[in-house]
Amino acid sequence: MKDNRLISVQDLKVYFRSNATTARAVDGVTFEVDREETVCLVGESGCGKTVTALSILGLVPVPPGDIAGGRILFKGQGLLDLDDNNMQSIRGNHIAMVFQEPLTSLNPVFTIGDQISEAISIHKNIDTGTQRERCVQLLRDVGIAAPEQRLNDYPHQLSGGQRQRVMIAMALACDPELIIADEPTTALDVTVQDQILRLFKYIQKTRAMSILYITHDLGVVTHIADRVYVMYSGVIAEQGFTSQIFNHAKHPYTRGLLASLPSRSKRGKRLYSIPGSVPDPAHKPEGCPFHPRCPHAIPSCWSEYPQMCDYGEGHLARCPVLFEKTKKTIDDK
Amino acid sequence: MKNSAQKEFKEDFQLEEPLAPKKTRFQEFWLIFRQNRLAIIGFFIFVLFFLSAIVGLVLTSGQDPLFDPARIRLQEKLLPPLAKPNLDSLAPEDVPAIGFYLMGTDDLGRDVFARMLQGAWVSLTVGFVAVGISVLIGIFLGGIAGYFGQHYMRINHIVLASLFIFGVGLIAVQSPHLGAACLVLGFLLICYQALTKRKPRKKSMPSWTRFLFKNAISVDTLIMRVVDIMLCFPSFFLILTVVALLPASIYNIMIVIGLTSWMGTTRFVRAEFLSLREQDFVAAVRALGVSNYRIIFRHMMPNAIAPVLVSATIGIATAILTEAGLSFLGFGVPPPHATWGNILSDGKRFIFDAPWLTFIPGIVILIVVLSFNLFGEGLRDVMNPKLRERH
Amino acid sequence: MLSFIGRSVVQKIITLFFVSVVSFLIIHIAPGEPSQVDPMNPKFTPEVVERFREEFHLDKPLHVQYIYFYQNLFTGKTVSWKDNQSVLQKIWERFLNSLPLFIVGTVLTWTLSFPVGIRSAIYRGRLYDRSATFLSYLLISIPGFFFAYVLIIFVVTHFHVPVIGMETFGTGNTSTVFVVMDRTWHLLLPSVLGATGGIAVLSRYVRSQMLEVGGQDYIRTARAKGLPQEQVHYKHALRNALLPFITMFGLILPGLIGGSVIIESIFSWPGMGRMAYEAILARDYPVILTVNFVSAVLVLAGTFISDILYIIADPRIRL
Repeated sequence: MKDNRLISVQDLKVYFRSNATTARAVDGVTFEVDREETVCLVGESGCGKTVTALSILGLVPVPPGDIAGGRILFKGQGLLDLDDNNMQSIRGNHIAMVFQEPLTSLNPVFTIGDQISEAISIHKNIDTGTQRERCVQLLRDVGIAAPEQRLNDYPHQLSGGQRQRVMIAMALACDPELIIADEPTTALDVTVQDQILRLFKYIQKTRAMSILYITHDLGVVTHIADRVYVMYSGVIAEQGFTSQIFNHAKHPYTRGLLASLPSRSKRGKRLYSIPGSVPDPAHKPEGCPFHPRCPHAIPSCWSEYPQMCDYGEGHLARCPVLFEKTKKTIDDK
Repeated sequence: MKNSAQKEFKEDFQLEEPLAPKKTRFQEFWLIFRQNRLAIIGFFIFVLFFLSAIVGLVLTSGQDPLFDPARIRLQEKLLPPLAKPNLDSLAPEDVPAIGFYLMGTDDLGRDVFARMLQGAWVSLTVGFVAVGISVLIGIFLGGIAGYFGQHYMRINHIVLASLFIFGVGLIAVQSPHLGAACLVLGFLLICYQALTKRKPRKKSMPSWTRFLFKNAISVDTLIMRVVDIMLCFPSFFLILTVVALLPASIYNIMIVIGLTSWMGTTRFVRAEFLSLREQDFVAAVRALGVSNYRIIFRHMMPNAIAPVLVSATIGIATAILTEAGLSFLGFGVPPPHATWGNILSDGKRFIFDAPWLTFIPGIVILIVVLSFNLFGEGLRDVMNPKLRERH
Repeated sequence: MLSFIGRSVVQKIITLFFVSVVSFLIIHIAPGEPSQVDPMNPKFTPEVVERFREEFHLDKPLHVQYIYFYQNLFTGKTVSWKDNQSVLQKIWERFLNSLPLFIVGTVLTWTLSFPVGIRSAIYRGRLYDRSATFLSYLLISIPGFFFAYVLIIFVVTHFHVPVIGMETFGTGNTSTVFVVMDRTWHLLLPSVLGATGGIAVLSRYVRSQMLEVGGQDYIRTARAKGLPQEQVHYKHALRNALLPFITMFGLILPGLIGGSVIIESIFSWPGMGRMAYEAILARDYPVILTVNFVSAVLVLAGTFISDILYIIADPRIRL
C-alpha cells in the first residue's frame, strides 16, 4: 500500500513575514496523492491553496515567504531538503504545474514551440528533430488543430482556451508523474472550461498520472475528483472521497459550501450563503478558525483548536462538535 | 406579506466585516517609508536645506544683514575654512557675525558661508518654480490630451488659434498694426460663432463655410506633436541659447528651465489618463452623471498625481543641477548675487590655492541633489502598490 | 510595414518643419541683434552694420529671412557670421572631433550598465545591489563640472599627465607609442565623465526593468518547468526586459550633439558642444540654427530607427 503513495504533504506551514506581521498562509496542511489519482483541493480564495501548490515545487518566493515547518515527501524523498539543482530536475520532469492565467503565464516573446521544447531539452537528452516531433504530438494530444503551424505562433496569436491547452502540453512535455493544476479553468469561458476539464480527465486516463487539482468551484470537483480536501484558512477542514463529501459532509464549512451551490431542487428558494468572509491570514481568530461564521459554534470553539475526527473509510473532518453530535445519535440508536 | 419579505431580507442581510485591523493611509505610508533608510536621510537633508534656505534669505538680505555676502575685505582674501579674521586690520563692521569664517573667504575676501546661504535660496526657488511651471503645463496638456484627446479640432478652431498666434507674434516683431488687426479679427470671429451657436443653423450655408467645420486633427495628436517638436531640441543647448539671448536674471532662468522640461510630465499624465479613462470606476461615476470637471479632478487626478509628484521631486534635483551648470558657464544669475554655481565657477581659478572654493559648493550641491533623488525614489517605492500589498 | 515607414517619414518631415520655424522664431524674436553684440567696437560704424544687415538679409521681413536661411542651408551656402567660414564645413570638422568622445562614452555606458543593472536585480537587497544603488545615485547627483575638476586634480597630481585639450602641445616629433598614450589619456577622462551619468541612469533602469519582468507569471512558469536560474534570468527575463532598451538605442544618436557642452568647455575639447557654446556667446545665428537643425534631424532619425527596431523585436507588434 505504501508504495502506491506518490506524494504526501505533512503538517506543512508556510508563513509570509513582514516586519510588523506574520501571515500564516498555510498553517499545518496534511494531505496525500496516490498514483493515478485525481485529488481536488477546494477552498475560497485566500485560504492558502496556491501557496501549498507552489511550495511543493519550491516556488514560494523567499523572502518574504518562509517554509516554517512540515515535510513534503515525493516518492519517499523529502522535497524541502533538496538543493536547487536537484529541485530543478524534479520540476517539470516529475512534477509539472499548470497555472491559472494562461495569458500571462506564457512568455510573450518566445514561440510556443520554443517554450514546450525547452522543458524537454532540459530534462531529456534528445535531439532537436525528435523534440519537434514530440512537441507536435503533445499539441495534438491536447487537442490543438494543425499543430505543425501552431508551433511557430506566439502566445498572443492564440485564444484563451488554446493557450491553456499549450500550458497543459508544456506540463505534459516530460511525462511527469504528478500534474498540479492551479485553477486552470477560472480565467476561461464556461464552454471552454468544460473542454479543458474533459482534457484533464482524458490525460489522466491515457497517461496514468496523478493530478492535484486546485479549485474553488465545487461543480468542477464532482466532475473530476476521486478524493477531495476542503481547505479553510490554511488548514484542511475536511477530507474524503467525493461521494462522502458531497453526500455526508461533516464539517459546517463544507456544509455551508454545499448549501450555497445552486441546484435544481432549490429552484425558487433563496440561496444560502456563509456569513462573513475568510479571516485575514495575519489576524486569524483564536481557537477554530471557522468559529466566527459557524452556526454550530459552542464556547469551546473560541478557545480550543479543533482536532481531526475520524468517521472511518478515509473520511475525516475537523469539527469535534458535530462529531460528538453524530456519535450521540448513533449511540441513541 | 410585505413585512415577511422585509424580515426575510433582514435575516439574509449580512454585514461584511473587514478582514484585518484598518490602518490609515498615512500609517501605511510611514510603515513602508521608514524601511528605506536612504530615503529617510534624504528627507531630513531636504528639510534641513529648506529651512536653511529660508533662514539664509532672512539673514543675508535687507539693509544691514547679519551675514553680508557682498562685503569685500581685500586684506582677508582666500582664507581657509574656520580661519579667524585679523581683528587689527579689519573695520569692526567687517568682522563676520560668528567671529570666524566658517567656510573661508574667496578671492575678494567675501565670506563664503554667507554666500552659500544666499545661494541656497536661489537654488531652492529655481528648483521649485521651474518644476512648478513644468508640472502645471504637463498636467494641463497631458490631462487634456488624455481625457479629451479623441475630440477633433475643426478648421475654424485652427484658423482662430493661428490668428491669435500671428497677432501676438506680429506685435512682438515690430508691426503692431497688423498684429492688432489679427487679434481684433479673431475676437470678432469668436463673437460671431457664439452668436450663431444660439440660433438654429440656417440651411442655406455657403459651401465654403462647411469646409470650416470639417475635423482637421484630434486634440491628442496636436498636443503630442507639439511634445515631439519640443523633444527635438537638445534641452541643455536650448536652455543655454534662450538664457544667453534674454537679459540675465534669475526669473528668466526659472521660466526657461520650466518651459523646456514639461514634455515628460505631459506624456506621463496623458498615458495615465488614457488608462484611467478606460477603467470601470470612471465609467461608474460617469454613469452617475458626474461632470467632466469633477471626474478629472476628483476621481482621476488623485490616481495620477502621485507618480507626477515623485518625478517632480527628481525634477527639482535636475533643475538645481541645470542652474548650477548655467552659472558655471557664465549664463546664470548675474553677480553680485551669489549662487552655488557661480561660487564654484569663480573658485575654479584657485583650485590649487584655495580648493575649498571649489569643494564646498560642489559637495553641497551634490548632497542636496542626492537628498532630493533619494527622497524621490523612496516616495516612488511607497507609491508602488505592488510593494504596499506585502504589508 | 511600408505604409508605416511612409507615414512616419512624412510625419517626421512635418515635425522637422515646425522645429525649424520654432527655432528660427526663438532666435529672431529674442531681444538683441547680432549687429548690437559689440556696440562700443569702433569697427562697427553704422555703415558697416547696415552693409552687414543687408548682406545677411536682416533688413527683410522674418518669413523672407526664414526662406533665405533654409535655402542657403540646403544648398550648403550658409556661412558663419563670425568668420565667414562655411557652417557645414565647420560642423563636420567639429563633429569628427566629437566622434571619438561619443563612441568611447557610449560603449562604456552600454557595456557597463547592463551587467551592473542585471546583477543588482538578481541580488536585490543584498550588499551588491545596495552599494550599486547608492553609487548610481551619487553619480546622478554629482554636478558634472565639479566631478570633472575633482578627476582632473586627481589624475594630474597622481599620474602627472596633462589632460586638457585633445593632445599635449608639441608632441609632433615624439614616438607613435607616446602619441597614442597621450591621446588615450586625453580621451579617457572626458569620455568617462560623459558616460558616468548615463551608466548610473541606465543601470538603474535595467535593474527596475529586470525586477518588473521578474515578477511576471511567465517567469514562474519558466521556473516550474525546471529551468536553471541562469536560463530563467538571462533568457526569459532578459529578453523581455530588453524590449524598452531598443527604444533607447535609437535615442543615443542625438547625444552626439547635446550632452557635452560643459565637459567639452572644461577640457577645451574642440567638439560640437564647445562650438555651439562659442556660437551662442558670439550670437552666431547661422551656426546656432544649423546645430539645432542637425540635432533635430538626429533626434527624429533616432526615434525612427527605434520604432523600426521595436517592430522587429516585439512579436506582439505586427503591421
